[in-house]
Amino acid sequence: MAVRMLLNVFKEVCKVPTCAPHASNLLRVGRQMACPLQSSRLYSYCQSTGSEPDKLYKTLELEVKGHDRIVMRSYQQFVQMAARELDVKISKIWEPPKAVIKRWTLLKSVHIYAKHKVQYETRTHYQTIEIKHVTGSTADTFLEYVQRNLPEGMTMKVTRHAIETLPAHLIPPAASSSPESDVKGQAST
Amino acid sequence: MALSGFRMNLRNVVKVRNLLILPLSPKWISTTSVSQKNIRSGVYKTTNNRSRPLTYEQAQKPHLIGVTKAWNSWNASNLDGEHKCLPETIWEDVFIRKFMTGTWHNLFVSEIIIKRRQNLIVVAGLVSRSVAARKMYFLLGYTEELLSNLLKRPVKIEIQTVNSKKDVFFKWI
Repeated sequence: MAVRMLLNVFKEVCKVPTCAPHASNLLRVGRQMACPLQSSRLYSYCQSTGSEPDKLYKTLELEVKGHDRIVMRSYQQFVQMAARELDVKISKIWEPPKAVIKRWTLLKSVHIYAKHKVQYETRTHYQTIEIKHVTGSTADTFLEYVQRNLPEGMTMKVTRHAIETLPAHLIPPAASSSPESDVKGQAST
Repeated sequence: MALSGFRMNLRNVVKVRNLLILPLSPKWISTTSVSQKNIRSGVYKTTNNRSRPLTYEQAQKPHLIGVTKAWNSWNASNLDGEHKCLPETIWEDVFIRKFMTGTWHNLFVSEIIIKRRQNLIVVAGLVSRSVAARKMYFLLGYTEELLSNLLKRPVKIEIQTVNSKKDVFFKWI
């Protein structure tokens, strides 16, 4: 069973197009690997030693939605603890004071009695955690850990902001050195 | 004591007279607003000799959901803007509950709680120890295997056992 998992991981590594799996790389990967589920970590390890440099993110926004505010606050504590242990800088945590409430007012009875109605509602609480100055591999690892421990009844949306160079068609012809501008790169989960 | 907004009729005159005789007790006038709670939902019929038991969940009225009462199924399909797989989730919930009630004959003593974490479904609840442990282990494995194959995703069952049904009774009405 463990051997089969190891083989699956090696197959994953071989599938990666950017870096050619040298024997030395595979050996290093084999020794490092403890859990076969860390395939994304292996990919980013491959990335850093291969031809492409690791991507740098200016900010990482984790937007969490849930029905229960207390559960969300305890999850926020968990994320803070994880970030403290992994040396990830959390710059901002904010939650709007009010939830988004959706209400339905429906007739109580199947036939007539329009004066008697019944009301249902759902409440969605939001919370955003902002992380600054992380590399691609750090972001992948941290997000994987934090997302695997997301409690039931909550969703997370991740927005990654990276600084990119201005595209060639926007650089004025006279200017020789163009200033770099901020471009939003969205990746939602 | 505010006597304004007081409709003068025989009944009220009588009350005032009683007041004059008895010592001052302001209990007979109410100045609070009407409570707009639904008082007719989640109501169980009471008995004369208080012989009907209620579990904790049954004793809490629907307006206490999210306060002292939690939900029976935990998933993200009811959140703002996340309604894609709501019908499938509802269907799966109904199916799981029917399956559990039918497979575990009279064993579940609490509500069947369904939690969804990414691809995993966790079915939880309280079970009474009226059946031998061996049979219970068989039921666990059988349910997990069948549900995983039917719903095409990993299903885990986390049960806690209780001596008998009487241990979950919270209130008698």
